[in-house]
Order: sequence, then structure tokens, then C-alpha cells
Amino acid sequence: MSLREPGLWAAQFSAMGGPCEALFHGVSEGEARRLGTMAAAEAWRIERKYSRYRDDSVIGTIHRNRGRDMILDEETARLVEFARECHALSDGRFDISCGVLRHAWHFDGSSRLPDPQQVAALLPRVGFDKLRWNAPRLMLPEGMEIDLGGLGKEYAVDRACEQLATECRCPILVNFGGDLRAHGTPPRGAWQVGIERPGQEESVALLLDLARGALATSGDARRFLLKDGVRYGHILDPRTGWPVVGAPRSVTVAASSCVEAGVLATLALLHGPGAEAFLGAQGARHWVLH
Amino acid sequence: MQLKADHGAIRRQLMLASCSLLGVATARAQQAGDAAAPVDTSEQTFESAISYYHEDGRITAIEPMVSLHSDDGNGTQHTLSAVFDSLSGSSPNGALPSSKPQTFATPSGSSLNSTAQTYTTASGQSTTSVAPTYVVDAGQLPVDPKYQDMRVALSALAQQPLRAFDRWRFGGTLSWEHDFLSLAGNAGYSRDFNEKNTTLSAGLNEEYDLLKPIGGAPVPGSDYSLFQKQGNKNKNGVGLQLGVTQVMTRRWLAEFNVTADRFSGYLNDPYKIVSILDAQGNTTGYVTEKRPGERLRRSAYLENRVAFDRTTVTVAGRYMNDDWGVHSSTLEANLRWWNPDHDRYLQPSVRWYRQSAADFYTPWILASTGNYSTLETADARLGAFHAATFGLKYAIKISRTGSLPGQEPSEFNVRLQVYRQDADQKRANPTALQDIELYPALRAVMLQVGYRFAY
Repeated sequence: MSLREPGLWAAQFSAMGGPCEALFHGVSEGEARRLGTMAAAEAWRIERKYSRYRDDSVIGTIHRNRGRDMILDEETARLVEFARECHALSDGRFDISCGVLRHAWHFDGSSRLPDPQQVAALLPRVGFDKLRWNAPRLMLPEGMEIDLGGLGKEYAVDRACEQLATECRCPILVNFGGDLRAHGTPPRGAWQVGIERPGQEESVALLLDLARGALATSGDARRFLLKDGVRYGHILDPRTGWPVVGAPRSVTVAASSCVEAGVLATLALLHGPGAEAFLGAQGARHWVLH
Repeated sequence: MQLKADHGAIRRQLMLASCSLLGVATARAQQAGDAAAPVDTSEQTFESAISYYHEDGRITAIEPMVSLHSDDGNGTQHTLSAVFDSLSGSSPNGALPSSKPQTFATPSGSSLNSTAQTYTTASGQSTTSVAPTYVVDAGQLPVDPKYQDMRVALSALAQQPLRAFDRWRFGGTLSWEHDFLSLAGNAGYSRDFNEKNTTLSAGLNEEYDLLKPIGGAPVPGSDYSLFQKQGNKNKNGVGLQLGVTQVMTRRWLAEFNVTADRFSGYLNDPYKIVSILDAQGNTTGYVTEKRPGERLRRSAYLENRVAFDRTTVTVAGRYMNDDWGVHSSTLEANLRWWNPDHDRYLQPSVRWYRQSAADFYTPWILASTGNYSTLETADARLGAFHAATFGLKYAIKISRTGSLPGQEPSEFNVRLQVYRQDADQKRANPTALQDIELYPALRAVMLQVGYRFAY
């Protein structure tokens, strides 16, 4: 708990593989602590529920029950349904079943590209359209995996922010590892948000004013392969099994909710060199770093 | 770069999708929290329990039970269960205590003469045996001291969905004792309305019982000392149930049902007799009980269940009456308290019961009436009484490795119940029986240990 500036309390904690914070304006320290604890609890709840590393997570349970009919709980069913809509809207570019491709791809900064045959062999195990999905019933075919990690952090930001907003009428900013959402504006008029340049975490490449809504950033400079002068970023196109080449290093999108901003940012990267054109066509406020 | 739709179409649809993801999710997922999780819808459950039942000074019963249940998650369910009962101890035979010792024959007996008897077989050999009789001391309630019985019951139930909103169920039960065989079948149909907030159901059941009393079924209303027996007997029952279950609010569920059933045939208890007393209260003889050959019963049942976050309250009441003149009311309530982790609960319960006597219930018959072949029974179960049961159950849920709280976990439970029954509308004691308790209270205790294993 720290006083960032007069009247602005910040609660910091660690979740979803990174630093998280929730800022509250004009409340007492005790109230800020109570709200911060709520935000952390929601982040940890969602992290635990959708972790692909935990046996007792929803994802673990779904994977253990491959080939069988399952009824998903309401929250998970909504997320899977949202993922289905994203898959349809993006012509198959956004796919929660593409995690299987990680068996072939290891983005460790080296030049070791996988054997194209190995990648091709994995493709039959990728594709949302191969799942039997009739909400809330899901049947995950043998050999397939799903991963809600691409949505989880943004979803947690939205959930935490909306929860806090029902608890407090104070201005709130929720920031989980760079994905953030604001509710209400501080007296100064807007929240100031710095976007780092990938690979140079100490320097702020962009300083944005956020009055309302959400920002999400996609792109990660540390996860790539470099071979023959071609940089293979970690964003994989599930339709080919190969990384999208020529995508920007980082895309930040503003939208009314964090999940919406996050999906737009991911989709932009999946359009490779056409990322900015895509975002322009969608009329989304965006910031691209090459 | 081909875009599926240009000029903001994707963004607009994404905004709509985000709203439906977050809009309702905020309200509902909050309450669902971690408790909701994907449930593999097919499930098998193995359940076992052992009960120990003891009536103060009378019967002791040990009852192991096993049950297998499978549910494919789409509405098809199958249940198979087996119960084994072993009863031993002493059972009241219906006669009154007397100021003098009384001699009775065990069910296999055919004489009240307790001296040794010699039989000569066809081959010329002779055997000597003691007639199977028992003597009850003066002032003691006559009970058959070597009462022993075993019962095995098997039952099967299948439920099959027809469409998304209705289903059938069929079941059958076979119950076997050395002197009794019962076969029963049932069928039911239920249908959901009003977005599954209302369920209507109807059921029909049929029962066939064969009575094979040791030594034969006595002729009802006959002189006990004459041992007039008539071999095996049977009785039949048919019943109808109609029910409605209604979700009143998110936390309140109500269930109401009515039943009617009709039994006909030999409805007597072949081992129960009635004492005949003279004007002073001295026992002069006994007559076998005689009940009507038909019984029509009707009942109505209402149950309300209200669930709070860590507490579930159930309150239920039943009213029953039959054309024998028995009216009964039952009120019961229980409270289930969960611990904060929702893996253990404590459930105290209380049940109160009251019934009026059958029209032909009579603790004794006066010799002066002279006519013993009218309807009569001294079976306390058909007398007027009230009873209370207090229970306490404790259960521990044991989650499977890697299972989530939404899945049905295994459970270990232990339950203790105490029961007390007291007679009502007592008749004044005859002179000779002035200091004898003719309506002893019945006290019983039941302890059950159960384990349910889900896999």
C-alpha cells in the first residue's frame, strides 16, 4: 500500500506472472487497503481458475476429461462463447485451441526453427471448429488443448474494475501487468499511463492520458526466434502453425473494456505488417511500436 | 490482407461480445465464484452405509446397504441398491401384561402345552421334543423372546429423458424374508415448465406381497389356543402420486405432492394377538387379530427448502388419513450448517409425529362382549401415539484429486438419531392390572455410518 501522490493510494501485488496494481483516489488508507485486497482476490481467483499449469484448474479439469461431454460452469461457458465469437470474427486467427503448437515452437531467442513436418502434424489438433461446443456443453477431442490465458488477464482487469466500481464511487484504475481499465477520472482529468518500449522496460516510450475505458498491449520482445535475418515473433497463426512475420513489436489498443482492447491488439498482431491498417479500419485508438 | 468486414464491423461485434461476457458475468460469476467449475457430466457413485438400530429392551437390527448410481449427465440415470437387514431380539405379540405368568407358542408351535411330547414316526421310531413355547412373567409385556429375522431387498431404478423437458422413470423392488416376499414396480413421468422453474410429476406403483407365516397364517379373529391356520396368504397394493416442484426464488424451493393408495388381501400381522380379559382384568384367553381386508390411504406432503450461503433449512409436513380411521401428521425440520470451506456440515434435525388410533384398535377385549370375531387389533402401531425423533448428522466431503467444488465429491457421514414414542388416549387399567404399565413408551436409537464414493 503506498501513497502515490496526495489523495492517490496504490495497492500492489503480484498476479498473472507480473506486477499488478489498483489505484484509488480520495479514499482513506483503510478503504484503499480493503479495495486493493478485493482486486487481488479477484485476480488470484481468475488466475487459479484458468491456469493451464494447475491440475485443479478448470483448464486442468477440461483437459483430463478429453473425449467426454462436459457442462461448463456459467463463467467458463461465457469465456468459451466469447472465444468462439472471436474465432468467427477473425476468420480463425484468434483461437484458444492453438496452444498445442507450443509443442513445436520454443521462442527462446535462438535460431532453432521447428521441422515444418512437425508443425504440420500438429495442425489437425488445432481449430476451435473441431471442438464440440453447444454452450454450456463442451467436448474437447483427444489430443486437443484449450487455453484461456490469452483472455484471462484482460478479463480479470474488467472483472476487478467492475467489482471495485460497485464498492466505491471513487476514481479507480486497475492495472494488471500493463493491461488496464479506468473507472472514473481523478481530479486532474485523466489517468496518466506510460507504455514501455518492448525490451527496454525502464524507459517509457509513450505517455497516454486515459480518461475512461481500457488499454491493452500485445507483443513481447523477449519471445522470438531469429533465423537468416527474419524475426519470428511469438504470435502464431493457428491456420498455418507458423508465426506471423512482419508484425509490430507491440500494439496498444484503447477500447471500452479490457477484453475488447486485448482481442483487438492480438488480432492486429495476427495481421502482421497490416496491423495498423487493421486497427485503422476498425477505428480503434491505437499506438504501435516497431 | 483480407478483412472479414471493414470499417469497424469487427470492433462493433467484439464490443457486443465483450458486453455479454462482462455484463451478466459481473452479477452472476460473483456469486458463483470458484464454486462453479466444469463438471464432467457422466458420473458413477458408489454408496454404502451400515446402520445399527436398537429398541430399548426389544429389537436390535444391523442393516448394511450398498448402492450404485450412474448418471450420464444427459438425464439417463440408473440406480441399483441392495439392503440387508438382520433383526434379533424380542417383539411384542400384542397380548397385555397379566397379573399371572402367561404361556405362548412361538410361531412354529401348535400347542400351548409346554410338557415334553413324544412323536412316533411312520418307521416306528419315536422322538421327544419340547413344544416351542415361551412363558412371560407376571407383570411383563408379552414379547416373543427369540424373534429373529433377516431381510434382503434389491431395487433398481432407471430414469430416461424423453425430450429436453420431460422424462420417464421405471423401478422395481424385490424384498425377501423367510416368511415374506414382496415384489413392487413403479413408473413415473415428469415434465418441466416455465423454464424449468416448475416440474409436474405423476407416478403409479403396484405391489404384490406373499405372506408365508411360520406355521401358516392364522384365521383372523380366531381363538389363539385353537391354532387355526390357513397356509400362505397374499396382499396387493396399488398407488398413485401427483406432485409439483416449484422454484419460488433463487434460494427457495417448494415441493407439494399428494398420494393415494389402496391395499387389499390379508392385511393382518400373522404374529399379533389380542388379550381377552374378564371384568377384573384377568386374562382368560387370546384371539388372533382381525383387520379389514382393504385399506385406502391418502396423504399430502409439503416441503420447503431454503438455501442461504452456509445454511440450508428444510421444513416439511405430511398429513395422512385412511379409511381405518388413522389420521396422522408429521412435521419435520432440519438445518444444515456448512463450514466456511464448504467441505463439512453439521445437520441437526427434529421430527414430530402424531396419529390417531384405528377404529378397531383395542388394547384388550372384554370377555363379556362374547363376540371375538369383529375387527380388532392390539398392535401399538395402530393405536394413538405421538413420537419425536431428534437427530444429528455430521458429514465430511472428500474431494477427488484435482476435482473442483462443482463436482460431486465423495462423502463420509455419521448420523445419530434418538426416537421416543408414547401412547395417547390410554384406557384406564382394569383392577387386576392396576400397577402394571400397559402402554410402555418405546425408545430407540439409530446410529448410521455412511460413505459415498464418486468416481
